[in-house]
Amino acid sequence: MTSCEHLHTLEIRNLTVRRGGVEILSGIDADIRCGEVTAVVGPNGAGKTTLLLAILGQVPYTGEIRFCRAAEHGEGAPRIGYVPQRLDLDPGAPVTVGDFFALSSQRRPVFLGASRGTREATRASLERAGVGHLAATPLGRLSGGELQRVLFALALRDSPDILLLDEPVSGVDVAGEERFCEFLSKVQRDSRFSLLLVSHDLSVVTRHADRVICLNRRLVCSGATTEVLTPENLAAMYGADAHLFRHARADGHGHLHDGEAR
Amino acid sequence: MTWGSTAPEAILSGVFALMDRVLPFAFAEPAFMKRALLALLLTAPPAAALGVPLVQHRMAFFSDAIGHSAFTGVALGVLLGVSPTWTMVAFGILVAAAIASVKGRTGLSSDTVIGVFFSTAVALGIAVISRRKGLTRNLQAFLYGDPLAVSDAEILWMAAIFLLVCCCLFFLYNRILLLGIHEGFARAKGVRAKSVEVSFAVVVALVVTAAIRSVGILLVTALLVIPAATARNVARSAASALWISVGVAAFSGLAGIVASWHLDTAAGATVVLCAAACFAVSALVRAAFPGG
Repeated sequence: MTSCEHLHTLEIRNLTVRRGGVEILSGIDADIRCGEVTAVVGPNGAGKTTLLLAILGQVPYTGEIRFCRAAEHGEGAPRIGYVPQRLDLDPGAPVTVGDFFALSSQRRPVFLGASRGTREATRASLERAGVGHLAATPLGRLSGGELQRVLFALALRDSPDILLLDEPVSGVDVAGEERFCEFLSKVQRDSRFSLLLVSHDLSVVTRHADRVICLNRRLVCSGATTEVLTPENLAAMYGADAHLFRHARADGHGHLHDGEAR
Repeated sequence: MTWGSTAPEAILSGVFALMDRVLPFAFAEPAFMKRALLALLLTAPPAAALGVPLVQHRMAFFSDAIGHSAFTGVALGVLLGVSPTWTMVAFGILVAAAIASVKGRTGLSSDTVIGVFFSTAVALGIAVISRRKGLTRNLQAFLYGDPLAVSDAEILWMAAIFLLVCCCLFFLYNRILLLGIHEGFARAKGVRAKSVEVSFAVVVALVVTAAIRSVGILLVTALLVIPAATARNVARSAASALWISVGVAAFSGLAGIVASWHLDTAAGATVVLCAAACFAVSALVRAAFPGG
């Protein structure tokens, strides 16, 4: 853990994304550090999801997104796990959770069945996410929380270097949100991937993120959570709606990185 | 069976002899009935297999557009004095590739893009036909289709497309289905969306143009959509969806031919009606077991 303590796993320099002549993101500089939880916050339309898509290479951009890692952690392209904001699934689709895993991992076409390797990997990652019983359930029958777990299990299966979570608790009730956050912090402690989390929920951010990137098409500010989420910065991002912050801080218990050297 | 000879008759006579042993019924006796059965069994199941991801992608209108643009392909073939089968396939592939590559590059929804290409293609076909009187008779066979009039050479061509579709399904199926579930997610998993979509569109065009000889331009979409819709009503997993769809297509092909023999109705239309009956049963099953 110490080897990459202050290594910047992902360096974003002067990132600009244009779509249809409009600058969705301009001149973003940010670092995502190894093993830390970085939250991206900002109002609707601030370009949070676009930032994730740029990291995934799914939108054209100018500027640089550089991945660095310590030599002892191997070479090659980073494995990036991605949990989209919500899967707008067609509820009638005849695709089970197991099929979904098989579709995205094995070469053998799913209509010939899942290979044994796929079945075992699927079971292991679902069990790790606490949803081992869902393998044969059609995707359309999952609740919001279950789908979240399944997507998360799928992202973790390939042991990512960086995990991108887009609004991980949207569509989940408060109890489910709490459970998911606890689960997330446990898994993250065990696996030590870098986590980049988009959230509009500042209570989740203040409780779980080490660092924050505040976006509103430009970089408003970035840094350690406690230093960055000030009323002034929030006002710069959201307008004068800084009361959000007080609400968010009302119960600041539990931190994702409790007990870890930083 | 004389495998040494490449003549279509030689290869097919062996298949026909086999069919005589498997199907010792009066309806299967005439050679044209055997060809009709072969034509349907070679085109309907692959069409139904492709129908599963097609329905998942909401592309029913796309297959209809390819079917209708085949009309223009045939008209062009007759006008240019080349085999209409080849121009039909070539034109179908052209339109499919054009739709698939334009889609997503404009601000228009995909059904709008398809609507533009589709009506342009059909208008071109009508314009071509209107220059030549007497062409319409030639087109009738393509509009309504007739599996009873399929030639030996066409059977072999359908067999080639059958093999090609099986290969494509093998390599493309997972990616096209994943794309249909969630595009962003599939891309993050390394699926090259554009090339997969264009290849899928081309394969659909091949199957559609091959199936037109059996059921005609007006009904060809039914072979892709109805078995897949039937499967969706009752299947729970991806594998069962594909096999139910293929099974419904094979059953409808066989039952439709037999029924048309006894009822003296158009074979292609009877096959589609059989598939529709399967769909009705599946809808009832779904209504009876909503949780199933």
